[in-house]
Amino acid sequence: MKLSRRVIAHALGLATLLFVAAIVSVGQTTTGTVSMSATVSKFVEINSGGAVTLSGNSGGGVTTDGVANNPLAVSINLGELGPSNSNSFVTASVPLKLRSNAAYVLSMNATVTSTGTTSNKIGAADVGFGLGSVTRSGTGVNTAGTDTNATSGDPTLAANGSVNGASGRYEFTAVKSNLSAFSSSTTALNGAFIMNAVPKSNTNGLTVPAIFAIKPQFFENGSTTISVTFTVTAP
Amino acid sequence: MARLSIISILSVVILCASATAEAQTLDISSGGQPTITGATGGSVTGSSSLLNDLTVTINFGEISPANTNSIVYVVVPIGIRSTQAYQVTVTVIGPSNANAQALQPADVGFGVNNMQAMGSKSNVCTNSSHIFYSPFNNDPSSSVTIGANGRATYPSSLSNISGSTVILSGPVLTKTGQASRRTDNGYVFNAMFAITPQFFAAGTSSATLTFTISAGPNVLC
Repeated sequence: MKLSRRVIAHALGLATLLFVAAIVSVGQTTTGTVSMSATVSKFVEINSGGAVTLSGNSGGGVTTDGVANNPLAVSINLGELGPSNSNSFVTASVPLKLRSNAAYVLSMNATVTSTGTTSNKIGAADVGFGLGSVTRSGTGVNTAGTDTNATSGDPTLAANGSVNGASGRYEFTAVKSNLSAFSSSTTALNGAFIMNAVPKSNTNGLTVPAIFAIKPQFFENGSTTISVTFTVTAP
Repeated sequence: MARLSIISILSVVILCASATAEAQTLDISSGGQPTITGATGGSVTGSSSLLNDLTVTINFGEISPANTNSIVYVVVPIGIRSTQAYQVTVTVIGPSNANAQALQPADVGFGVNNMQAMGSKSNVCTNSSHIFYSPFNNDPSSSVTIGANGRATYPSSLSNISGSTVILSGPVLTKTGQASRRTDNGYVFNAMFAITPQFFAAGTSSATLTFTISAGPNVLC
């Protein structure tokens, strides 16, 4: 009986030790987890689509040209806009490049300031404007996406303007075909997402020319400054 | 009656000993402090101590082009111990996005490398080596290529994980008789994750990986 109690006591002691050892080993495990998350925000950008094309000018020139895939900061001197310029239009075509991972809206806001004092000075309505053909091409571009051009396209097209029979002044008459339609931020173009899942180093995108035109006329003499701001958003 | 009691108690003791020994055969833990680079608004949390469980949370942050870094890169050190030949497997749940332009499993580069002994109680075997399994035996951040569709690709990614997938195996890791959790009696390897910021469709994504150590191919030490 004494032997039995001793054995039982030893056994219980051993069991206690093993229990403690088991507790020590509780920290051990055969599995571990790595949880991960990531966020993709809507992203849009506008850059230059390349060099500006200026035509029909008399004097003037492109002061600061566009460089493809660089921030859009173009400066153009349209030259002489009086009747001494015998061309039918002075036209500047500014290539834009848009990229987005979401549906986008391209808006424009323009101001026209002339030094003249009469209604014959150059005003916003005398500056024709329109967006040309929209191009989605290249690897990584959502070529199936569609776009809606809110302007009437090339303002020099015959369908987009004519001489006013009463005043004799040339007018850009089509929908959103001159800068008076953009005295506040106004949509010029919108469409589906532009880029598939590709890195930003991919330089492809949506390109569209922004076309500005002025018909040389007997404007009041002076100088004119035209400032245009393009903004792209993902509503 | 007394003899029967003794036999019963000894049986219980033997069972306890057996269970304890089994519990100490294999172990996986943190292998050190995880790190993240190239993130915008991202973070990684996990224990720097080899004595703590492997519980890591990675927030890659912004992975649209708004993040101008070329890659978001996370290194997670993982500690392993064993008193027998072992293998490490991994399973993954997510990311799951129906939109093909959103983040997909193939967009998360995943690789393992850099097996290193913890210390003096780490077992060094000469007859067998620790094997990182293909295609995971690479650093995904250093092998990014652009596919024909313009999308970034990696030698291995979460898309290569199918069910429980073996990524590592080898001989006994621990010198001591038990794989109890110490700072010097096993090995540490790196699990690496990489995402290249791209024009992904907007949204949030998440995934969970589970690493498991178990008995592996019976190789000599």
